[in-house]
Amino acid sequence: MPILEVQNLRKSFGETLVLDDISFSMEKGTALSIIGSSGGGKTTLLRCLNFLEKPDSGIIRVNGETLLDASASGKADFQRNIRLKRLHFGLVFQSFNLFPQYTALENVMLAERMLAKEQPDWKERKQARIREIREHGEMLLKDMGLQDRMNNYPHQLSGGQCQRVAIAHALALNPDILCFDEPTSALDPELTGEVLRVIRGLADRNTTMIIVTHEMTFARDVADYVIFMDGGVICEEGDPREVFSNPQQERTRQFLSHYSQ
Amino acid sequence: MDFSQQFPIVFASLNTGFLQTLRLFAITLIGAIPLGLLLAVAEMSSFRPLRMLIKTIVWIIRGSPLMIQLLIIFYFPGLVLKNPIWGSGETGRFAAASVAFVINYACYFCEIFRGGIQGIPVGQEEAGLVLGMKPAQIFFRVKLLQVVKAIIPPMSNEIITLIKDTSLARIIALQEIIWAGQSFLKGSGGISGAIWPLFFTGIYYLAATGILTIVFAKLEKKLSYFR
Amino acid sequence: MKKIVALLLCLVLAAASALALADDKADVIAKGKLIVGITDFEPMDYRDTDGSWVGFDADLARKFGEYLGVEVEFQEIDWDNKVLELDSLTIDCVWNGMTLTDEVLSAMECSKPYMNNAQVVVMFADKIGGYSTVESLSGLVFAVEAGSAGEKVATELGLEVNAVQNQASALMEVAAGTSDAAIIDALMAAAMVGEGTGYENLTYALPLNDEQYGVGFRKGSNLVDELNAFLDACTADGSLLELAKLYSVQGALIGE
Repeated sequence: MPILEVQNLRKSFGETLVLDDISFSMEKGTALSIIGSSGGGKTTLLRCLNFLEKPDSGIIRVNGETLLDASASGKADFQRNIRLKRLHFGLVFQSFNLFPQYTALENVMLAERMLAKEQPDWKERKQARIREIREHGEMLLKDMGLQDRMNNYPHQLSGGQCQRVAIAHALALNPDILCFDEPTSALDPELTGEVLRVIRGLADRNTTMIIVTHEMTFARDVADYVIFMDGGVICEEGDPREVFSNPQQERTRQFLSHYSQ
Repeated sequence: MDFSQQFPIVFASLNTGFLQTLRLFAITLIGAIPLGLLLAVAEMSSFRPLRMLIKTIVWIIRGSPLMIQLLIIFYFPGLVLKNPIWGSGETGRFAAASVAFVINYACYFCEIFRGGIQGIPVGQEEAGLVLGMKPAQIFFRVKLLQVVKAIIPPMSNEIITLIKDTSLARIIALQEIIWAGQSFLKGSGGISGAIWPLFFTGIYYLAATGILTIVFAKLEKKLSYFR
Repeated sequence: MKKIVALLLCLVLAAASALALADDKADVIAKGKLIVGITDFEPMDYRDTDGSWVGFDADLARKFGEYLGVEVEFQEIDWDNKVLELDSLTIDCVWNGMTLTDEVLSAMECSKPYMNNAQVVVMFADKIGGYSTVESLSGLVFAVEAGSAGEKVATELGLEVNAVQNQASALMEVAAGTSDAAIIDALMAAAMVGEGTGYENLTYALPLNDEQYGVGFRKGSNLVDELNAFLDACTADGSLLELAKLYSVQGALIGE
C-alpha cells in the first residue's frame, strides 16, 4: 500500500487554475522530487498536502486513510481534526520560518511540548517528559551537525544553519512524510551544500520525503522518483535517470536545457 | 511672602495636583490597553460591518481633538439630556475625564496593536500550524512576544504623550498639576501673582517622562536578545 | 476654543428652548445643596490657609445656603465655560465677582447688582505718572482677558489690545513686559497689585467705566427672586456691610 495517494487534486485562486487534476502516489521510504518552473503549482501542491490551502476537489490519502475528500467536504469538515491530519506531514519552508524569540533547541522542542501538554499524564510526568523532549531535540540538532549551536537564537545563525534547525523542527513530531519547499532557494550559493548534505543523509536513512527544488543534480541523485510540473499539470514523471537523460516531452526538454549549461 | 515661605505651600498644592495627574494617567492605561486590544481584534474580524464600525469609531476619536471629546462627554448629559450623570464635585469631573481618556487612547492603542499583530510575517503562523499548534498557542507562544517587541517604540511614544495630555482635563476644571500651578497666578493660599509654580510643574513632567523613558529603554533592552 | 464653546452653546440653546426649565428652586432644595461655580479670585472667592473657600462672595453664598436651608458646595470652574457649566446642570450659579455685561445678562438669569466695580489700568508704578488721562493711553498695548468687561472697554476706547486667557495672565503680561499695561477689575487690582502682593512694582489707576457685580443663574431660574429678597434682607439688617468690612470692600458696596 502506498504511503501517500493524491487523486485528482484541483485548486484555483479566483480565475487562475493553479493545480489541474494532479494525481500521484508514493511508497514509504522513498524520496520524490518535484521540479518545474516557478508558478507551475509546486508550492501550492505542498501547501495543500499540509492543509495550508483547501483544495477545490480531490482526495488525499495517507496509509490508506482518507484525510481529505475536498469535493465532499465543506469548510467545516476541512477544519475538523485538521491539526491531527497535519501531523502526518512535516514542512520545511523556503524562508525557514523559525521563531525568533526561541533558541535553536527551544524551537525544536516547542511543538512537541505543546502536544505533550495535552496528554492526560502531563502533570505527574512533567519533569520527565521535558527531559525526554529536550534529549530528543538535542539528538535531532546533533544529527543536523548543530551540536555547538543549540543555544543560539536564529539571528545568530547563518541561513544554512537556520534551515538545518528548520529541518529538525519539522522532524520533531516524526511525520510520515517530510516536505521541502525549495529549501535552498533563500540561501547564498556557498551555504546550499550543507543543507543538501543533510537532506541526502535523510534519504540514505529512507526518510519518506517530497522535495520541491531547483537543484537538478541533487534531484536526480537523491530522488527515487521525479515529477515535472508545468502550468498546474504533471507534464512528465518517472525514474529520475530516465526523465533527466531522456525526457519524452518537449516542455521537459526545454526546461531541463536551461539547467544543463 | 518670600520664596522660602511660598515653597512649602506651592509644593503641597502641586503634589496634590500631580497625584490627580498620575491617577488619570494610571486609569487611562489600565482601561485603554485592554479596550484597545479588544478594538484591534474586532478591527481584524472577518465580519465586514464590524470592521467598518470600528474603523469609523477610530476615525472619529482620532480625528477630533481630545479637548472637544472631554467637553462633550462631561457637559452633554446635563446639557442636552438634562441628566448630569457625572454628579457634582471633583469625583464626577475625574470620572468624565477618565472615560474620555480611556476611549481616546484605546483608539490609538488599537491601531498600534493591529499594526503590530499584522506586521508579524504570515510564515510564523504557518510554521506553527504545520507543527500542529492551536491558534491560541500560536498567538501566545509564537506571536505575542514578537508583537510586544514591535509595539514598544510606538507605545512608549503614546504613553509619554499621555502623561502630558492629562493637562487637557483642566478644560472641564479637573484640578491636575497645571491647574494647581496656575492658581498661584490669580491668588491662592495667600500667594498671588506667582508665575514660578506654573513653570515648576515642568519639573514634575520631566521626572515622570524620565522614569518612563528609562522603563521603556529597559524593556526594549530586555527584548533585544532576538530580532 | 471659543468657537467650539459657541457651537456647543447653540446646541444648548436649541435643547433649552425645547425643554421648559423645571422649578430650579425645588430642584436645589430637593438635592439639599447649592453648587456654586467659582474661580480663585481674591477677595471674592479664595482659599484660606487651611484650604477652605473664603472671601466676600464665598461667605455670602454660604449665608444664602443657610437662608434656603441647603448646603453650599463650591466648584472651581474654567471661567470660559461658566454658561456651559450652568446649562449642563453641573453648577447652580456663578458667584464670583461677575461683571454684569450684556453678554452675561443675555446668557444667564442675573440677580440685581450688589457691588460696584470699574475697569482700571495696571502699569509699573514708576511709569504710570505719565498717563493721567484716557487720551494719553493711545499707542500703548493692553493685555485684557478675552471676552471680559476690560476687553470691551478697551475696544470701545479704540485701544490696541492683546487678549489673554484670564485677568491673572493679563497681569503677568505687564510684569513680563510683553504688554505695556493691563485693564482688569478694580477689586482684583486692589487685591493683587501693589505693596505686599506678588506684583509689588505694579499699581493701578484711571477707572475707565462704571460697572457692577451680580450673581448668575440658569436662564429662567426662579432662584433669582430668592437671592434678591435675601440681598435686601442682608442690606436691611446691616450684615452685608459687616461682611464687606471683613474683606475691606465696603467702599464698593452698592448704596453705601
